[in-house]
Amino acid sequence: MEQQIQLDQALENIQKLVDNIETVIRGKRTQIQFILTALLAKGHILMEDNPGTGKTVMAKTLAQSISAKADHTGVNFKRIQFTPDLLPMDLIGSHIFDDIKKEFIFKKGPLFCNVLLADEINRASPKVQSALLECMAENQITMGDITYKLENLFFTIATQNPIEMEGTYPLPAAQLDRFFIKIIFGYVDEETELDIYKDYLGIESNLQHIQQVLSMDEILFLQGETEKVFIHEEIIKAVRNIVWGTRKHADIVLGASTRSGITFLKCLKAFALVNGRSFVTEDDLKLITSAVLDHRLIYRNKEAKQKAIAGILDAELARLSKLNIGN
Amino acid sequence: MAIGKIHSWKKVVAQVILLGIPTIVLACYLLWDANRLYNILQNDWIKQGSYFAGGIVVSMIFYSYRFRFIATTALLFLIYYGAYKILGNFNVGEFDAFFASVQFLLFAVLFSAGWLTGYGFSRSRYYTVFWSVFLLAIQIIVVSKTSDFKAGDIIGAFAPVLAYAFYIIFTAELIRNMNEDETHFGWFITKRMLGFGIVVLVLLLALLNIFQDDFKAIEKEWGNAQANYDKGKGNSESMTKNNKDGSVSNKDQTKLTSSLNKGKRLVFVAKLDNFFEGSETPNPLYFTAYYYTKFDTLTQTFEIDTLMPDNDLFRPDPSKIPLLFAKKDSAVIKNSHSPLEHKVVTAEVYKVLLSADEFIAPSTAFFCQPIPVSNEYKDQYKSAYRAKMWVSNLNSAYFIYNPAGNQQLEQFQEQRFEALRTVKDFNEVDKKFRDYYTFMPSNADYDSLRTLAKQITINAKTPVDKMIAIRDYFLSKDEFDQPLFKYSDNPGVPGIPSASKLNYFLFETRKGYCAYYAGATLFMLRSLGIPSRLAAGFLTIDRSSKNPGWYWFYEDQAHAWVQIFFPGYGWIDFDTTVPDVNTQQAPQPDETPPLNMQDAYFVADGTVTEIDTVSKRLKLDVNRILFHDKDYETTTAQNIQLDVSLATVARDTGTVTLGAIKKGMHITAASYAEALKNITASDNDSLPSIFNKLIKPVPVDQIKIIDPESAAQQKKKEAEAQQNPTDWIKVLWITLSIIAGLTLLVFLTPWFIWQYFNAAARNSRDTKLKAFNSYRACMYYLNQIGYSRTNFGPNEYARMIDSNFRTTFSSFSNVYQKLKYSSLPLSERENETVQTFYRPFISNVSKQVPLKTRISRFLNIYNTISYFAQSKNK
Repeated sequence: MEQQIQLDQALENIQKLVDNIETVIRGKRTQIQFILTALLAKGHILMEDNPGTGKTVMAKTLAQSISAKADHTGVNFKRIQFTPDLLPMDLIGSHIFDDIKKEFIFKKGPLFCNVLLADEINRASPKVQSALLECMAENQITMGDITYKLENLFFTIATQNPIEMEGTYPLPAAQLDRFFIKIIFGYVDEETELDIYKDYLGIESNLQHIQQVLSMDEILFLQGETEKVFIHEEIIKAVRNIVWGTRKHADIVLGASTRSGITFLKCLKAFALVNGRSFVTEDDLKLITSAVLDHRLIYRNKEAKQKAIAGILDAELARLSKLNIGN
Repeated sequence: MAIGKIHSWKKVVAQVILLGIPTIVLACYLLWDANRLYNILQNDWIKQGSYFAGGIVVSMIFYSYRFRFIATTALLFLIYYGAYKILGNFNVGEFDAFFASVQFLLFAVLFSAGWLTGYGFSRSRYYTVFWSVFLLAIQIIVVSKTSDFKAGDIIGAFAPVLAYAFYIIFTAELIRNMNEDETHFGWFITKRMLGFGIVVLVLLLALLNIFQDDFKAIEKEWGNAQANYDKGKGNSESMTKNNKDGSVSNKDQTKLTSSLNKGKRLVFVAKLDNFFEGSETPNPLYFTAYYYTKFDTLTQTFEIDTLMPDNDLFRPDPSKIPLLFAKKDSAVIKNSHSPLEHKVVTAEVYKVLLSADEFIAPSTAFFCQPIPVSNEYKDQYKSAYRAKMWVSNLNSAYFIYNPAGNQQLEQFQEQRFEALRTVKDFNEVDKKFRDYYTFMPSNADYDSLRTLAKQITINAKTPVDKMIAIRDYFLSKDEFDQPLFKYSDNPGVPGIPSASKLNYFLFETRKGYCAYYAGATLFMLRSLGIPSRLAAGFLTIDRSSKNPGWYWFYEDQAHAWVQIFFPGYGWIDFDTTVPDVNTQQAPQPDETPPLNMQDAYFVADGTVTEIDTVSKRLKLDVNRILFHDKDYETTTAQNIQLDVSLATVARDTGTVTLGAIKKGMHITAASYAEALKNITASDNDSLPSIFNKLIKPVPVDQIKIIDPESAAQQKKKEAEAQQNPTDWIKVLWITLSIIAGLTLLVFLTPWFIWQYFNAAARNSRDTKLKAFNSYRACMYYLNQIGYSRTNFGPNEYARMIDSNFRTTFSSFSNVYQKLKYSSLPLSERENETVQTFYRPFISNVSKQVPLKTRISRFLNIYNTISYFAQSKNK
């Protein structure tokens, strides 16, 4: 039996958030849904695309839509521009000597925030990348003996430039695995682009005047509700089959891990909620599989990248579509 | 671990169809060809072909995966070895073991050849070249086995292999180079195959044109061959034939062909009460089944002629005669025209493999009485009969072959010949009779035969001396003191019979089996004006010193020999077949003969009116009885009760249980009860009065069921079916209509499935069931009219359909998804959606698709297949 889910309230909140973001970001409904999915699943998201497609604006808009307290004073949003010479200290902070107290005090770095925009993450050295990813996974930062707990809401939006571009350090598979979802941001369509140009100056001002529609507590409530989304046994089986499928597939060198399977389930629940449902369906599976799994896999060649996941998914969808109603 | 594939399934299918099947067909042809010449192959080319086919197909599919050849082949050989060992443990008889191991070896060789070929086709680029060369080499060997070269034979042997070689090299290369991802893959293949077909056709036509005369000759010979083509036997002949029920009969025709098939199974056992006058020495006689009186020059076949003058062939069907009742035909005695030196001899034949309806006895038989086989021998002997013959004192199995060395026999023979020398000519024989039995073709081919006969018998005065001269000719030695004629089951002549077969035998190969010797002898005799005919049956070998008068007959004793008519003495057997030096007759075991049954006091023949298997009582409407060996008949059937508690029940096929007797069956019941011994009948007793004397119920010991449709009738039907020339047009029509029916069925399959889905969707009431059935029917319907789901998610798909047809499929789809994946209850409205969605949707969609498009797409089976197949990645 499904846990009683406060669906109406949850949907109202989500709708508010989406509408708010859409005042700034246009024609990116799918991407917004994916970002919210990652947010609700208590995960992090990686966006990949060429510079200038609106990744940063997206992250900013999201951060500014959420207020830290019920009084709408704004969440703690930090942005770090990753460069090759960035050091871990620059992220997590460092101990500095307090002349007055005669002791080292910990100066918190930008990681101590609620929404973090890690811009161009693959331009930083692996050392820095791993420092970030560790805290993404553990939700805490350990400095010497002291472990600093991050706040309940810690959401990272990382962007990266396509691997092929110069001056990038590709993220290793183990670290990519920590991102729940990777999306290609992509260009807007021609019509929307024209609108954006017309509002050329308006964007900045839009950002200034963005409303804080949800409080952090409301986000935490949504995250709680996400847990309650019902997931049918056959869908769980399908996830298992897809994960196994990636391991057995001839064209996939490295398949999905068990952790990614769990992540997959979390994302499915969140995605269903974002789409206004309290249960997961085949559609969720169909739409999200690639975004969740694609960046975790290593393919034998380029053509395989196009086909492998789709093949596994289609087989599974075909199986599901023929199932009788079982519960 | 998943095993990767080397070829896509399309390629494998193309390989199997375009390379595999032609190869299998050619292999079958070559095997069939080889079967004609090699006895060891047992004339089983279909089975052998299937071994090869199995090997090639399995291997092609197997090696389309990434398997290593050496390792897998080693494994295959291990399996062979294991199977061989297991086989060795299971066999009992030495002969069985030999037979099984030969069969297994054959299987292993052929399967391996297929396996290797399959591998070659699948993996090796140049294999087709080696394979073609190998096949050509085989054909050279096969052709070299045949000693008479003819253009036709050589073309027949090489043309298919050459054509195949071109084809296979071309096609293999074609398949290798093709791109299976091409959209019009089928058309790509068809185009090239058509092109190749045209080139080959032109080539063949050119060849045909050049060698037209040769081909015409072949055609003619084929025409003859086909008339006698014995289905399933290849071109080899056997003196016996295997019936469908596994029994054996003598063939009613014998054709001169390349090789003779011989088995070593026991056919029947006989007791023959024929002894040399005034002694205890048994005098064996040949057992005759048929007389071949006519030779068909067209088909080179000796035939039975039912119209022969003065028919002296008695051919009852023992399975149709009630047990212990006898069938007699005294006309045959008269027709045998043999008053001199004759006596009546009795024989008892116990059938083992011999067909139940078959009657075999020394000539001239005139009496047949089925007799029961006692219980302890029931398993061994299926049935038995007693025969009586009008036998000449001059006939003997000892007499008819050359008894060289055995003084006693030579003496006997001399006596026989002395008696027969009294016949100087055949002037007093009826002219029609004489003309019939001295007929021979006037064909020029027989001139050399005539000349030879004259030459051999130049010094012989009387007919019997001429016969002896012919026999001695066959036994004579050449200038190197080697036998002039040799016995051979496999004379090595190609299977197509030619008019010169006997000449070929007499003047060139000088080896053959009994039909060759008998045939040659017959025509030499007829050319000399001596009335003669061929007899077919079994030769009798005296093996038994323990049981004098008992003889055992094995399959390889099936034989043909000559009978000569001597006025006054009748038909006398002569056998001119030379002994087979290579395979000495191994003395087969001398088993215990079946014991005689005691005499039956009472035998009743009638129809069952009542049967009680519990109290073991049976009521019979009797028309005919045998009481103390006396026959009584009545026109009005008398009912009698029988006690069958001790009775054994038999059929032609062997012993059966009492339960096999059903009301209305025709049975014969016999009683040996001592209680009946003292009841005697007087001369004026009739059937009813004897019934009154009997104790009731009558105890019965033996029951024989007489099957209404005996094997003989079935065989007759078979023979008729064979004789009626197959109406090829009819066969064509039937085949076409079957194909058309199947095609229609295939075309209509999508429609049938739709009917089922539609009905299920319309008729279900329960929400869940209704939702599922409706959704399935909608999906199927949309799929069939060309809107397949491909790789859309359900919602995506539903929206696509909605935008195409302005329907509300997505709302239904959402409800369906909710039903399927959530445990939430449906709202009132959702319930209504489920119940009311289906019909309007289908009619709405169907209105928007033109009827023509709908039908053409609907009947496309590929849509259906793709619906049921796992969706593929597009």
